[in-house]
Amino acid sequence: MPVVSITGLKKRFKEQEVIKGLDFQLNEGKCIALLGANGAGKTTTLKMLAGLVKPDSGSIVYEGGEKADFRRFIGYLPQFPVFYEWMTGREFLEYAGQLAGLPKAEAKDRAKDLLELTGISEAKNRRIGKYSGGMKQRLGIAQAIIHRPRLVMLDEPVSALDPFGRREVLELLNRLKKETAILFSTHILNDAEEICDEILFLHGGELIESGTLAELRTRHQQAKIDLVFKANTAEYAEEISLLPPVSSMEVNGDSASFLVNDIEKARKIFLTEIAQRKWPLVKFEISRTSLEDVFMKVVKK
Amino acid sequence: MKQLVTLFKKEMLEMARNFKWIWVPLTFVLIAVKEPLVLYYLPQIIDSLGGLPEGAVIELPVPSAGEALAASLSQFNTLGVLIIVLITMGTIAGERKSGVTELILVKPVSYAGFVTAKWSSSMMLIWFSYFLGYFLSWYYVGILFEFIPFADFLQSFFVYGIWLTLIITIVILLNTFIKSSGAVGFISIGIIIIATLLSTSLSHLLAWSPALLSAYTNTFIIGGNFPDELLPSIIVSVIAIMFSILASIAIFKRRELA
Repeated sequence: MPVVSITGLKKRFKEQEVIKGLDFQLNEGKCIALLGANGAGKTTTLKMLAGLVKPDSGSIVYEGGEKADFRRFIGYLPQFPVFYEWMTGREFLEYAGQLAGLPKAEAKDRAKDLLELTGISEAKNRRIGKYSGGMKQRLGIAQAIIHRPRLVMLDEPVSALDPFGRREVLELLNRLKKETAILFSTHILNDAEEICDEILFLHGGELIESGTLAELRTRHQQAKIDLVFKANTAEYAEEISLLPPVSSMEVNGDSASFLVNDIEKARKIFLTEIAQRKWPLVKFEISRTSLEDVFMKVVKK
Repeated sequence: MKQLVTLFKKEMLEMARNFKWIWVPLTFVLIAVKEPLVLYYLPQIIDSLGGLPEGAVIELPVPSAGEALAASLSQFNTLGVLIIVLITMGTIAGERKSGVTELILVKPVSYAGFVTAKWSSSMMLIWFSYFLGYFLSWYYVGILFEFIPFADFLQSFFVYGIWLTLIITIVILLNTFIKSSGAVGFISIGIIIIATLLSTSLSHLLAWSPALLSAYTNTFIIGGNFPDELLPSIIVSVIAIMFSILASIAIFKRRELA
């Protein structure tokens, strides 16, 4: 069941059209990554979903949002969260919980649990002004989920963190996945692959690719054969690229990579050709293109 | 309603944490009490500072009790108003500029509640400080000159308080659509100065102007009677206050908050 359906979403800031028409749905209980380079429109999209920016056209419909304030169903963490510096972490969470409609006692309990879950309970009575970046990020996640929203939106939750903090936040998200749907933006494919079920790939304000990781792999990954010769790899590669199964070729120093359509057929042809012509083959490797390669290709287009 | 209480408590806590509950009342007391004291002791002050030729006799007219109290009010009308603008000019604009509102307003927070909490907490702080300052000034006037009837004190307190309320409300209104607290302050002061200048110079045309409330209160304290134009002036002020609150809420609701 979709938590939110987005249709024909557009946004223009002065001269520049930032979002050029998005259509997608987010389903309950899924973890979705909004992937894209800087300036692809990720933050604007999230802000529109959170109701902070009004779209020029298109609609954002939350399940149940006609009857109740849709903000009940969502949690949101901006890219650079700012808190009331004079509050303590515990006070801020209790305040956020009460604003979200929790009774005072429950807000207190939730705040206590979340401080522990996010690992900042020993700093709970310290002023937020004294928190480190990583602690603020974790406090930000805690305030986003305090009212058990159906959908949590996180804008670049790990980009500003050191490797340690990044790992911890990713693990935290992995645990959260069981409780709520997560939509988080990132420009790092690795993070997305690690915890997400689905990927929305945004480029220049348009959704250019989306689906589950498995779908994307089958759709985009191509078989690849890497060859290394004792010498003159480039010359041999030139001739091999004329063979029928090769769709494209790339030479990097001593090694040459060939994208092929039919891996079985390609292997047979390659090996027989090389054997017949007695070329000095050193390495023969069959691999696949990574999603990273695919996305780099798409972005460069 | 429960949420309004939560929002209001947060404002109170913030004012306590940054010591507004101490220095704002203190400032109001200082600027108010200073007047009767200085007026009373002025001859001695001049005397003890010296610098006058031997044998010079200082003859200062002794001000009446009403004039002394009115002097306090005129201090509120300059310094007091400035302080009010300074402490309220960033109440929403500052939070929006820093980005905290991105966290707070994606929660199911009522926009009306948010604005109301800001307004009522500012009102509470300023009315408290204003009362304390004005009351102490009245007390010292009583001790040093003569006691003005307490009922008169209360009347003047409430009438002039309406003008201060209107100022608070205008600053909050500007807060809802201007993102820079400096600009809010500048424009607020500009509006107040222009309103006061226009009203005093064209007082026969603008007798109903809220900016004249301070002049009317002065007349009352010194002469014992409010002029007839008081009532229209109060009515216009109250309407302006209510309209500004409603407008603040309406504007704040429609604003993009990012």
